[in-house]
Amino acid sequence: MSPRRAVASVLASMNKRRLDRELEDEIRAHLELAERDAVARGLSREEAHREARLSFGGIEGMKEEHRDHRGFRWIETLLRDFRYGLASLLRSPGFTAVVVGVLALGIGGTVAMFSVVDAVLLKPLPFPEPDRIVRVWEAPRPGVVDSTTVPQFLAWKRLATVFDALAAEQPVQAALNDKSGPTRIPGKAVTAEYFKVFATGAKISRTFTSEDDQPGAAPVIIISHAAWQTYFGSDPGILSRRVRLDGEAYQVIGVLQPGAFDRDETQFWKPLVFVPDQVSSEMHWLTVYGRLQADATLNQARERMQAINAALAETAPMEDRDGTIVIESLKRLLVGANLDRSISVAFGAVFLLLLIACANVANLLFAQGATRRTELAIRAALGAGRGRLVAQLLTESFALCVLGGVAGVATAYLLIRLATPFLSQSLPFTADVSLNLRVLAFAATVVLGVVLLAGAFPALQASFGNLTESLKRSARGSSGADVRVRRTIVIGEVALSLVLVCGAFLLARSLLKLQQLDPGVRIDNVISVSADLPIGAYPTPQKAALFYEALMQRLQSAPGVARAGLSTYLPLEWVSNGEGIQVAGAEQQVHVRFKRVDAGYFRTLDIPVLNGRGITARDREGSPKVVVINQALAKQLADVTGMGSPVGKVVRLSSADYENQPLLLDVQIVGIIRSERTASPGEPDPAVVYVPLAQAPNPHIKLLVRTQEGDAAIMPTIRAAVREIDPNLPLGDIATMQQIRDRTLSGVSRPAWLIGAFAFVAVLLAAIGLYGVVSYSVTQQRQELGIRMALGAKPGDVLSHVLRGALAMVAVGLVFGLVGVFALTRVMTNLLFEVSPLDPLAIAIACVSMTLIGLFAGLLPANRAARLDPIATLRDAG
Amino acid sequence: MSNTQEVPYGTLDLLILKTLETMGTLHGYAIARRIEQVSGDSLQLSQGSVYPALIRLQQEGWIETEWGISETNRKVKFYALTKAGRKQLLLEVANWEKATALVGRFLKASR
Repeated sequence: MSPRRAVASVLASMNKRRLDRELEDEIRAHLELAERDAVARGLSREEAHREARLSFGGIEGMKEEHRDHRGFRWIETLLRDFRYGLASLLRSPGFTAVVVGVLALGIGGTVAMFSVVDAVLLKPLPFPEPDRIVRVWEAPRPGVVDSTTVPQFLAWKRLATVFDALAAEQPVQAALNDKSGPTRIPGKAVTAEYFKVFATGAKISRTFTSEDDQPGAAPVIIISHAAWQTYFGSDPGILSRRVRLDGEAYQVIGVLQPGAFDRDETQFWKPLVFVPDQVSSEMHWLTVYGRLQADATLNQARERMQAINAALAETAPMEDRDGTIVIESLKRLLVGANLDRSISVAFGAVFLLLLIACANVANLLFAQGATRRTELAIRAALGAGRGRLVAQLLTESFALCVLGGVAGVATAYLLIRLATPFLSQSLPFTADVSLNLRVLAFAATVVLGVVLLAGAFPALQASFGNLTESLKRSARGSSGADVRVRRTIVIGEVALSLVLVCGAFLLARSLLKLQQLDPGVRIDNVISVSADLPIGAYPTPQKAALFYEALMQRLQSAPGVARAGLSTYLPLEWVSNGEGIQVAGAEQQVHVRFKRVDAGYFRTLDIPVLNGRGITARDREGSPKVVVINQALAKQLADVTGMGSPVGKVVRLSSADYENQPLLLDVQIVGIIRSERTASPGEPDPAVVYVPLAQAPNPHIKLLVRTQEGDAAIMPTIRAAVREIDPNLPLGDIATMQQIRDRTLSGVSRPAWLIGAFAFVAVLLAAIGLYGVVSYSVTQQRQELGIRMALGAKPGDVLSHVLRGALAMVAVGLVFGLVGVFALTRVMTNLLFEVSPLDPLAIAIACVSMTLIGLFAGLLPANRAARLDPIATLRDAG
Repeated sequence: MSNTQEVPYGTLDLLILKTLETMGTLHGYAIARRIEQVSGDSLQLSQGSVYPALIRLQQEGWIETEWGISETNRKVKFYALTKAGRKQLLLEVANWEKATALVGRFLKASR
C-alpha cells in the first residue's frame, strides 16, 4: 500500500459516516440511471427495476468491499469504542471526575518530576560539545579545597597542550547605578579564553580577545542577554553607552547570546587582569575551566597534567609539592552525587505515587465493571466475542486515561511553573526545566502503562467471569473473586503508601535533627545585609575603615538596634580558604580560613570567648596586629607545634590586602572563641582565623544587626544609616539569619518537603481506596448483616465486625509495606542526617498513622452498616 | 466478490483508467456501462464492483471526483483521470503487454 493511500485510508476511517452516505447516494443514482435506460429499451417499470438491481450485483456485499478497500477496519472499530467509551464516561460524571482527578495527580506529578530528571540528568549541557568542558584543580589537601594559584594557572596555560582553551574565573560584585538607584549585581572576572571554553558567542559585537586581559587594557565588560534586557531595556545602542560599575566607567563590548548564562546569577563578565604581585603569589583563589582538544579524552588530559605537575613540583612551595591535579567534566561537577540521589529518590517517590494512583483507578474500574456485568452478559449472549468485549473495555479505560493524561500534563505544566522559582536555586544553572518533546513522549508512555496496569485487569475480570451466570444473578451479583481482587489491590496500596509515609517521616526526623543542630551562634532576631565598597570611591583601606566606623556608630545608637557587627563572611556559610599560618620553628604552614570581623561581631552573634579576649574597638590601625582563632584552629596548632596554649604567641599569617594582593603579617594570637559552624552539617569545623576588620579593611562586607523587636522593620533604619554616610552605596542580599540557615539546609529540606507532599497524597489515595472497598463490601454483606442483627447482634457488634475486616486489610498491607521499607529506605541513607534509615520511631509513627487512616476509612461504612434496619434489609433481599 | 472471476485478475483498474482516458469525465454508471459495451458479451461484470475499485484509484490519487448534474438532471459523482492517473495508465498498459507477451511466448514455446 502506498503511503499516500495509507494516509487516505486513515482519513477515510475517521470519516466513515460521510463516506457511507456518499456511497448510498451514488448507488441510488446508479440504479435510477440504469432503470431509466432499461425503460427506454422498452421494459416495464417493474422489470426495469429488477434488471437494474440484477446487473448491479449484491449491494450489501459491495458496500462491505467498498469499506474494506477505502479504510482500516480496526480504526473504525476503535473509534466507535472510543466514542462509546466517552459517552458512557459522560453518563457517570462523578466517577469520571474522580478517576481523572486521581490520574491527573499521579501522572502530573510523575511528568513534572521527569522533566526535572530530563533537565538535570538526561539533556546534554546547553553548550556546544559539552563533553569537552572540564574543570581543573589541585586535589584537595587540608586547607586547600579547590582553588588554584596564579603561577599554577599560568604554568598550565603555557604547558598544557591538551586544552583548546583554558580560563580562570573569580566571582565579583559591583554596584550598578540605574534610574531606581544603586543595585548590586553579581559578575565574574574571567581570563580571555573564558567564552572559548564554553563556546558561547556574542549576540551583539564580540566576546573577549587575548588583548582584553593584558595589564593596562581599557576597562571593558560583557553582559548577559538577560542583563541586557533587565538593566538596559534591550538597548540596541548598548555598545556606545558607558556603564558605571562601582562608579567607574566601563565600555560594554558585547552582549552574550540568549541561553544558559541567562539562568545563572552572573550578569556581567570583566577581564581578570593579573598584577605582578599576584603572578608570584601562592594564594589559592582561582577556579579554572578548560575545553579539551577535540580528540582528547579525560584520561589523556589527566595523564598529561600529572606530568606537567611533576615537572613543576621542583619549584613549587613546600606544601604544594605532593599535590596532584584533578580534571573532571563539568557535567559531573554540576550534578553532584547528592543532587543525583535527591532527584532519584524524589522520582522514585513520585513513581510510587503513580502506582498507588493506578491501584486506585483499577479499584474504581473494578467497581464500575461489576455494575456493568449485565450489559456485558447481554452483549456476549448476542454474539460478541470475548476478545471484542476486552477490547471495548480497554478502549474505555484508554479514553479515561487519555483524559487523565491530558489533565496530568496540564497539572505538570502548572507544577513546573509553580516550582521553578524554588527549584532553580537547588538545580545547576544549566538545567532548563520544561515540557519538551521527550517529556511529552514520556507522558504518553506513562498513560499507556497506566491503561495496561489499571485497565487490563478489570477488563479481563469483567469479561472472564461466567457471563451467563452473572446474567442470571442479574444486578445483585458480584462474585467473591471480585472482592478478593479488590482487597488485594487495597493491600498493595497500603503497602506502597507505608513506604512513602515512612520515607517522609525519616526525612522529617532528619530535618528536625538539623534544625536542632547547634550552629554555635545565636541567630534569632538577626538580619544581614551585604555591601561592596567601590574601589573608586574608597581607594584606600583607611577610607573603608572610616566608613565602617561611622556606620557602626550610627547603627549602635539607632532605635530598634540591639547590637551590630561586620564580617567578610556570613555565619553558617562557607569561608574562603587558601591562607596559611606559619608558626616559628614549624616546617609546614597550617592552612586556615580567614574572616575579617569587627568588634561587634562576636557579641552580636553571642559567640563566647573561651580564652584570652575577643576583638575590641582598640584593635585598629596603628595598634599591635592581633588575631582571634577558633577552637578547631587552636587544637590544630597544638597538634602541629606541640605548644600549650597558643594565646599570646606570635605567628606569621599569609593573607591578602585591601586590593586582594598577597600580604604577610606577623600577628599575635590574643584569644580563642568557640567554633561557629561554617561547614555543611555533619562535617568537622574548619580552622578559622579572625582578623580585626579595622586593621585589615576589605571592601566586601556583610552587616549583621540584632534587632530588639525581631523583624525586618529595621531595614529602613539600616538604609537611612548607610545613606547618611554614602548615598550611592547599594545594599544587597537582605536576609534574616533564620533564612540563611534554611538556605544552607535547603539541600536536605527540599527533598523532605517534596516527599512529604507525595506521602500525603499517597495516604489520601490509599484512604479513598480503602473506603471504597469497605463500603462496597458492606453493601454486599447487607443481607448477612441483616440476618445477624435479626438474630440479636447489636449495632456495636456489626461495627466492630466491619472495622475488623478493614483493619485486617491494613495489617496485611503493613506487613508487605515493612518489607518494602526495609528494602527501599536504604537508598536514603545519604539523604539522612543522624537518622538511621530503619529508625524505629519513624517506622512506628508511620505504621500507627496508616492504621488510624484505615480505621477512619472504615468507620464511615461501618457506621452505616450498624444502622441498618434488619427488617428492611431482609425484605429488600427477598 | 461474487463475479470477479469473470474479470481477469487485476485488470478492472486498467479497464477503468482506460475508459476514463478515452471518454473523459464520467459517472459510475456510465463507466460500468462503457466497460460492458466495449467488452460486448464476453465479460460478465457486476456493475456495483466498479465502486470499490473507484475509491481505491481515488485514494491512490489517479482519479479525482466531483459532484455534478447528470444528463437526466440528477446529482451524481463524476470521475476524471488525473495527471498521475495518466502516468499510471501508461505503466499498467506496458505491464499488461509485457505480461501477455511473456505468457504468449511461453505457450508457443511449450507447444
